[in-house]
Amino acid sequence: MTSSSLNSDDPCFDGDGKWATKLLRECARAINDRDSSKIQHLLWMLNELASPYGDSQQKLASYFLQALFCKATQTGQRFYMNLKSASEKNQSFDSARKMILKFQEVSPWTTFGHVASNGAILEAFLEAGGEKNKKKKLHIIDISNNTSTFCTQWPTFLESLATKSSDHVETPQLKLTIVLVKESLKGSVMNEICQRMEKFARLMRVPFEINMINGVEHLWKVTKEELGIVVEEEDNDDDDEVFIAVNCVGGLRRVEEGERGNVIGILKSLSPRIVTIVEEESGGSDDSCITRNDDDDFVKCFEECLRFYKIYFEMLEESFPTISNEKLMLERECSRNILVDLGCNNNNNNDSDHNKRERGVEWSMRFREYFTPIGLSDDVVDDVRALLKRYNRSGWSLMLPSSKVEGIYLKWRDQPVLWASAWKP
Amino acid sequence: MLILENMDHGELSNGFPHNQNQNPTTTPPPSSNNNLPSLKRKRNLPGNPDPEAEVIALSPKTLMATNRFLCETCGKGFQRDQNLQLHRRGHNLPWKLKQRTNKEPKKRVYVCPEKTCVHNHPSRALGDLTGIKKHFCRKHGEKKWKCDKCSKRYAVQSDWKAHSKTCGTREYKCDCGTIFSRRDSFITHRAFCDALAEETARVNAASSINNSTLGANNNNNNIIGYNNMMIGTSMAPHHNNNNNMATQFASICNKPIPFPEEARNNQTTTRGLSLWMDHHHHHRQEATMATNNNNYHLNWVFGSKISTNLSQDLSSNTTITSTTTTSLSVPSLYSSQHQPHQTCASSSSANMSATALLQKAAQVGATSCGPSSFLGALGLKCSNGSGQGQDGNNNKFCGVYGSSLVLTSSSNNINTEPENNELSQMLPSKRRHVMPNEESGGGQTRDFLGVGGANHHFPPFINQSLDLI
Repeated sequence: MTSSSLNSDDPCFDGDGKWATKLLRECARAINDRDSSKIQHLLWMLNELASPYGDSQQKLASYFLQALFCKATQTGQRFYMNLKSASEKNQSFDSARKMILKFQEVSPWTTFGHVASNGAILEAFLEAGGEKNKKKKLHIIDISNNTSTFCTQWPTFLESLATKSSDHVETPQLKLTIVLVKESLKGSVMNEICQRMEKFARLMRVPFEINMINGVEHLWKVTKEELGIVVEEEDNDDDDEVFIAVNCVGGLRRVEEGERGNVIGILKSLSPRIVTIVEEESGGSDDSCITRNDDDDFVKCFEECLRFYKIYFEMLEESFPTISNEKLMLERECSRNILVDLGCNNNNNNDSDHNKRERGVEWSMRFREYFTPIGLSDDVVDDVRALLKRYNRSGWSLMLPSSKVEGIYLKWRDQPVLWASAWKP
Repeated sequence: MLILENMDHGELSNGFPHNQNQNPTTTPPPSSNNNLPSLKRKRNLPGNPDPEAEVIALSPKTLMATNRFLCETCGKGFQRDQNLQLHRRGHNLPWKLKQRTNKEPKKRVYVCPEKTCVHNHPSRALGDLTGIKKHFCRKHGEKKWKCDKCSKRYAVQSDWKAHSKTCGTREYKCDCGTIFSRRDSFITHRAFCDALAEETARVNAASSINNSTLGANNNNNNIIGYNNMMIGTSMAPHHNNNNNMATQFASICNKPIPFPEEARNNQTTTRGLSLWMDHHHHHRQEATMATNNNNYHLNWVFGSKISTNLSQDLSSNTTITSTTTTSLSVPSLYSSQHQPHQTCASSSSANMSATALLQKAAQVGATSCGPSSFLGALGLKCSNGSGQGQDGNNNKFCGVYGSSLVLTSSSNNINTEPENNELSQMLPSKRRHVMPNEESGGGQTRDFLGVGGANHHFPPFINQSLDLI
């Protein structure tokens, strides 16, 4: 898609052909500097050249364009709400299922976190109580991005639970409470998921209960009762005591920055025996956006977003066939996330949807206030390794914890993209 | 003699020639070894030894000793006496190769040294030294061998090797027809597959027809209306956002179930449930229990012990449930002995482990289309048992069923034909589509967000002045 009104002498077309990257950067800079005519010009160019169906540069342009436009016009919030309600309205179990299953087939992006977390939770559960006193009840509170992954973490967990507790006198019971933060699943989709999980649990012969809590606006306000943690559970004698696990895969990021500390505190108050957390490895660089220096704030955030999402789009491109409906769906979903990250942030301090990205080290610092890290065991790490081996594209690798970092990282083309870790009180 | 010395360390010969044999059937099933020349030794069923055999109990140390035969000169160890004798020639020591005896050798059976093990008792001894060694390792040993593709662990090296050969090459086939090369994808798919939803619905409908004949817990007084009830309840739309879907087992708690294993399951489930549920849930549950009861019970039961229910109808031996276990799970445990393939059929779904169920589905080509495909997947049809692979660790999965399931590897050749036919007749030939599709997304071709490309093209803003703060 070219436009004849563009001057081919335009400097953005020089060099490596990464015209979108250049334009987007300049636009971000212009927004930061509040140079309206420049903004206008750049947005116009981007609009002309962008296409969600084009090559990677065209796509990049397309998905960032919307966010930048919203940022420039301060319409991010409204745009996002529209997009959100439209997507919720049009959710269909079938297409969602197809999308996520296909994604998991071609890329370990989501399954990495699932395998690591499942392994850690199951191990902790089975080890608890010791030889004689095997724990019987497991309650997992799942605060994850299930509007993207649709509870696909849990079938393999159920199967693992059934298999690994086969030497127990009774199969342990599993209760799963799914908490959706700030987003909602359509009723019919929720039903489908719950029904199928129940049926599958029956197939696995695991006594099972599932509960979904939709659209929680403020996670820190959720009470124990709402989560289905009956207070009496904690007073029971050891035998009947419920083993509580909290699982956050891509869930904490949606909590506003200012509330994150509180939320982690709330998690602590649930008395979980283990907390697993998986997050995208993206955020301010070392000095990071923590500095409230407004001058270059936006540019820094933009740069980081660009860096990260570029990797993500490239990964999608590499993993899926060239023409793929599922890939398209994922890209669109991603552009909504970009919108939230870049376009909704206001210069005022009312950051209702300010999902500032934080990296593993930063999350670790927060968690350390309430929890202690548990290393992921060799078995779990081996499981993750085995997972990665199954993906033909050899871009995937594992980065193990060192003395400086907690948790493990998934790397794509040698860049850390996801972080997984486990914690105990 | 050196051999005797070794034996003295730990080997006790249980002198009694006649062992209490709890299981009267010691004759091998007609299918085994029939075609083989009469010279071949008669094999007994694993775990049901010949009462005439000599029972030998080895200590763990002796059992695991790999080189029991030691050369007195250089101390080199050998696994077989024959090898030692040949070695002794090299030292110019007197050697003698034992001839294979012409007469029927004294039968020996071995017990497992682990006291808590079921094979510890002479009546459940295993007839093969290699077999007991492998058993001991698998059940009571440390799993030292690990597959690097799927990180599955094994105690016995040969199991591990066998697994490694097939790991990754095996394909899993879902009822819906899709084939997977990866187990985890298969599991996730299966959980959300339409085939699962349909099958259970169909099965509910089918089983309910037989309800009155089952004689067991029948809360469904109204068979006539069962269709609607089934459909209504099995796919009961849950309208609340804060869904509290009671565990399906709730419906079973009220039912007296004849079999000990199930009874225990129920009790624990009940106990568990009463803790899980607060009053609010409980109230709701009772309301729905009546209607859900039958549905879920049958659902569950079908998934687990189909032969149990059917057996009442067919008046076959209820011990089917405990004895037919699972050649599925056990084949390689006794891999040195031949399990007749028919045992797969006889194992039925009675006490199939979760993984075994999945593995059954995993046989490529084993499933067939039609109403009985699910049953076929459960092994009621006599399917190719060899597809199960030599996974020695499957035996532990039997325990998933919450019963202290004994690996009775009796390969009772129960004729499953009647069962099969019964079921085929029971199942309605018409596939009932019970998927609620209230507001289906309108097909996959629709734009996921439903907003089309419009969002990416802005209202012409070139002419608008951007209102920047």
